[in-house]
Amino acid sequence: MTRTTRTRSGINLKSNYRPDEGASETLKNDYQDNLGDPGSYPYTRGTRDNPGGGWIQRELSGEGDARRSNAQFKYLLEQGQSGVDIIGDSPTQSLMDPDHPLAKYVIGTQGVSLCCHDDYRELFDEIPIDEISISSSGPPMFTVASLYLLAKERGISPASVRGSVLQFPFYAEYCGYAYKMPFELHLRMTCDIIEFCSQEMPKFHGFLEDSYFFSEAGLNAVEEAALAFVEIRHVVRTLLNRGLDIDSFAPRIAILVNCSMDFYEEIAKIRAMRRIFARMIKEEFGAKDPRSMAVVIACHTSGLSLTTEQPANNIVRGAVQTVALGLAGIQALEISTFDEGFRTPSKEAHLVGLRTQQIVDLEANITRVQDPFGGSWFMESLTDQVEEKVLAMITDIESRGDPADLVTGGYFKQFFQGAMSRYHQNVSSGEVTKVGLNVLQVPEDEDTLLRDVSEAKFEPLLERAEQLGVFKASRDQSAVRESLLAVFKVTSSDENIMEAVISAVETGATMGEIVGVMREASGTPYDPYGHLTSPIEG
Amino acid sequence: MNNIRILIGILGMDQHEVAAVGIAKMLRDNGMEVIYAGCFNTPETILQAAIEEDVDVIGISSHSWEYLYYMPELMEMLQKEASPIPVVVGGSVITAKDKAALGEIGVAAVFGSGTSDAKIIGSIQKLADR
Repeated sequence: MTRTTRTRSGINLKSNYRPDEGASETLKNDYQDNLGDPGSYPYTRGTRDNPGGGWIQRELSGEGDARRSNAQFKYLLEQGQSGVDIIGDSPTQSLMDPDHPLAKYVIGTQGVSLCCHDDYRELFDEIPIDEISISSSGPPMFTVASLYLLAKERGISPASVRGSVLQFPFYAEYCGYAYKMPFELHLRMTCDIIEFCSQEMPKFHGFLEDSYFFSEAGLNAVEEAALAFVEIRHVVRTLLNRGLDIDSFAPRIAILVNCSMDFYEEIAKIRAMRRIFARMIKEEFGAKDPRSMAVVIACHTSGLSLTTEQPANNIVRGAVQTVALGLAGIQALEISTFDEGFRTPSKEAHLVGLRTQQIVDLEANITRVQDPFGGSWFMESLTDQVEEKVLAMITDIESRGDPADLVTGGYFKQFFQGAMSRYHQNVSSGEVTKVGLNVLQVPEDEDTLLRDVSEAKFEPLLERAEQLGVFKASRDQSAVRESLLAVFKVTSSDENIMEAVISAVETGATMGEIVGVMREASGTPYDPYGHLTSPIEG
Repeated sequence: MNNIRILIGILGMDQHEVAAVGIAKMLRDNGMEVIYAGCFNTPETILQAAIEEDVDVIGISSHSWEYLYYMPELMEMLQKEASPIPVVVGGSVITAKDKAALGEIGVAAVFGSGTSDAKIIGSIQKLADR
């Protein structure tokens, strides 16, 4: 596709605009210290110098079983999608197998049901995992294990696999991805995955900090960024305490941010986060490699900003957010689609989301000039103010004690509950304007546009539990048991868990079994919900 | 008059808590006693908590289709009780058609995402007064 370097009237465009040669030394120095060209420290103006490069365009996919979700990937790739993004159903996201009694009515209805290597094999069937970026919003440990095994099975090097897994050890329990395991174990899993990826899958982002999902509790931009950094800083410190070199893993830290309708502040947030990250990694954690300092920012636009009233309005919201993100400069994007209030995206909504990204990128061509707001009195002031508030909040939170103790002591739980209540109040009172919801409503019987598509339901896969039972019975039982015992043993030690997990996955052990055994090795019940018994007991 | 006691909970694996927490706070601010049961409930755990806590009303928050399966189970269990506790359901995923179906199985009121706080409070007060 042709990308123009001119305006329609024939005016030539530069790849970015900066203070000219005649500018005062003060201005030039200030520019160098606080902004820098795109691709230069402190990366306020962008992580890379890549004019017109756009971003990885993808839409959140996953529904039903792996086969159906694989078809979703293929359809979107045919339509020009440049990466894939997977979401599991709520049991999968919570590391629960589909044969768990609590999973019964939700298997495959809000994402894909994944629990063993065969599922991932089907999910990625004919998907070139070394050519396109595989972004997983699903279980990080099992996505990495299966991608690693798949690469080997296909005769390609795991080192060539690209993509990312979301990490959220601090906040998972309070915002929708409950793992029901001791915090120490979750943090250790996170660090083991990052360490493993930095050695075996160096092109893969083993640490995509997920500030999207927890900010959907109703957090504002400053809170989102501050909590993201508190988590990143703790994970980084933990990895450094293991004796790792900062430059061995920091180049593959990325952040998945949210994007609300607060247009300017969202742009300022991303610019400020790049600068904070660069300075923190360089000055505080001693990175030498510039790639460590340049953080990749991806985005999932806010589902909370959408409404179930007049679903077509959500298309406009997605477009406005995409423009903001294009102006801020991001590396990858998924738009929350117009049917988000009801379901994970339908085929129709997927295409509208992808086309929105393509139109903003190719027709409006907004990334041709990088960081077009750079140097704007308003945007630089807003960026500085957001940065200042974020730094103050990080200091405040860290002054309250060891962040790990704050997690286990319930500080963040309180924080999120407060934010949820505040959000409800702000929408009820009209302080947050939501067109069609708290202003400019239409009568219910006139609210019909795209309603049928949005409300179409997907039936839960009630047969999955039984199918899993058949699969479990077909496995080499002693090999599965041995591999689970090995997971137990490694979890009880200080060794990295990944190798034992990969072996267990390879023998056909399921996610629920492996995680259950890890819970047991940490002195907690195999099934936190009290329904299942451990396969390694006795 | 004693304060109205209401149980608020979410069923199955639905972990969308923003609305439930927001409504719980709002009802507390309006003088009600809220017993917040959080996520991962089944009809059994909801019923048990409702009886133990002697609540006047049960409130279920739903942002996943699981409620379509759990609600008939819960309503059937409640109707076997000596004095069935009235149930209200809230959530953005509930369509007009589903709302009617909930009415048919005996759910006393259904609140969509645009429902005002005043309307929710009024409905619950009326149910508790019965």
